[in-house]
Amino acid sequence: MRGSVNSAPQAAIAVPTGWGRWWTELSILVRIQFATIRNSWVWIIVMATLIPMTTIIFMRFFITDPSYENIVQILAGNLLFGIIVMGLNGLGQEISFQKHQEHFTFYASLPISKINFVLANMIRGLMSTVPSFVILLFLGQWMFDVRLHVTPALPLVALLCLTSVVGVGIILGFWSPSHQLTNILCQALMMLITFLSPVMVTADQLPTVVQWISYALPTTYAADAMRQVLLHGWTTGVMLDCLVMLAFSVLSLFIVGKLVSWRVNR
Amino acid sequence: MSHYVFEAQEISQLYKKGKTSKLANDNISLGIERGEILGVLGPNGAGKSTLIKQLVGQLKPTSGRVLYEGGEVYAQSRRVASEVAYFSQDPHVLSDLLVMEALVFTARLRGMDARSAKREAEALLGLFEMSELAGKKLSRISGGQKRMVGIGTALIGHSPVLILDEPTNELDPKKRRLVWNLIEEHNRQGATILLVTHNVLEAEQVVDRVAVINHGKLLAMDAVAKLKQRVDQRLRFEIGTAMGQREAAERELAAWGIVQEGGENRIRLLVEKHRAAALLEMIIARTDLPIEEYSVLPPSLEDVYFHIDREAEKGEVVHERVG
Repeated sequence: MRGSVNSAPQAAIAVPTGWGRWWTELSILVRIQFATIRNSWVWIIVMATLIPMTTIIFMRFFITDPSYENIVQILAGNLLFGIIVMGLNGLGQEISFQKHQEHFTFYASLPISKINFVLANMIRGLMSTVPSFVILLFLGQWMFDVRLHVTPALPLVALLCLTSVVGVGIILGFWSPSHQLTNILCQALMMLITFLSPVMVTADQLPTVVQWISYALPTTYAADAMRQVLLHGWTTGVMLDCLVMLAFSVLSLFIVGKLVSWRVNR
Repeated sequence: MSHYVFEAQEISQLYKKGKTSKLANDNISLGIERGEILGVLGPNGAGKSTLIKQLVGQLKPTSGRVLYEGGEVYAQSRRVASEVAYFSQDPHVLSDLLVMEALVFTARLRGMDARSAKREAEALLGLFEMSELAGKKLSRISGGQKRMVGIGTALIGHSPVLILDEPTNELDPKKRRLVWNLIEEHNRQGATILLVTHNVLEAEQVVDRVAVINHGKLLAMDAVAKLKQRVDQRLRFEIGTAMGQREAAERELAAWGIVQEGGENRIRLLVEKHRAAALLEMIIARTDLPIEEYSVLPPSLEDVYFHIDREAEKGEVVHERVG
């Protein structure tokens, strides 16, 4: 034996704590995540923009004489749908992919926090969602020839929309028994949540039973907040919706923190 | 402070898939002593990787306990991640990064400051003779170069415990020698090292103790010298046969000792010392045997490994011990 049995072990680097460490950890994890898309980000934005843009174009040509409220409903629904696609479907699939590619083996062998790993994935998702969100916002106004309230409250509402819906995607991604199953579940759940809440239509257009179900889904408050903020800017109603979305976000983070184990396979 | 850095106590791992189940680990108990290099040897599918994942806390055993520095490994996963550098076989996660980024980012996540991380990454790349690849993507370099970067990510940050899973696979002889030297150097500086490898002959030069695993069971665990005592009454005959005549030669030689895996046109025969002279005489006298060359050597760790595996296959009593 070359190292003595009784000698003290080589000292590990004391991993710093506090905000500085948190920031270092997050920024490096984001850079690792960004590396996966740095050569293909244009295509990712195109793909993220394609579905909502096609829907907007489709509605522009097939809905005759829509009212201002109808136009805002269409645009807000499609903007929110883009966020749901990324937050629930995209994040769930991405985390599942990383799990089955054994990326967790690398991450779990380093002193990093699970929440920072999730945040890094969300920020990577935002890198493609934000440009498509902005493109849709301006393209929609131009196509329907309307002026929306683009205020500083809009990014806050969009961010809360995202954080309130990501929880399910994250849990599905970490749980993922197989990548194929997670793909199917994420897509099915995304469509279910979207159509069980007034994302594409107004609440009064939904059947009564679905209306009751919709109160339990964060997308209901996200859709209302998005619509109201585009129609009127920051109002008390938007603030209340934001508080409910904040509660959903905190609950999601709590559940992810408590239930999801990424270091240990049981 | 516990005598052991890691200790596995009667751990088993049962994988269930539908109605079928597979016992990947079967009641394994072992301890890794502070400051030692422990080699874990075994064929593919023996249960080595499962054991490692259990030790580092990434897989919870179906039964049994894993301790790190005397405490449950799962209760201190962040501490284990801070102190144990684990090199898994293929770090896919890094393949989109540049070589320098992979090293620096890993060091930074281990707690090094930016300047030290960069300095150490440059030093490692210099040592690996890969400085010119610093700005290349990992996915664009060769398998061997990628493996060197992976080893670099385990070595950077000077963790007190290193776990290396097949570190020398895909490497050329020069790089393999470099990796073994680096492993020895880190051990001299006080690091405890767990080494999983197929490369028994090279591992013999660096390991203090060896654990032999097959079919999920710990077949033997002891110092290399002590394990060799099991076969020290034998000599190894390395025999080269004429092209395509391996089986014919093997039939003639099987009665003289234990035939081990030797490769195409090669036979490795473990023979009792008192029969070696007679075998030599027979080989010289029998000109009809399709033998082209032969040499007689003392047994190596590889012979010990084959011997233990063979004993286990025959169902003979195997030695199991903790520590």
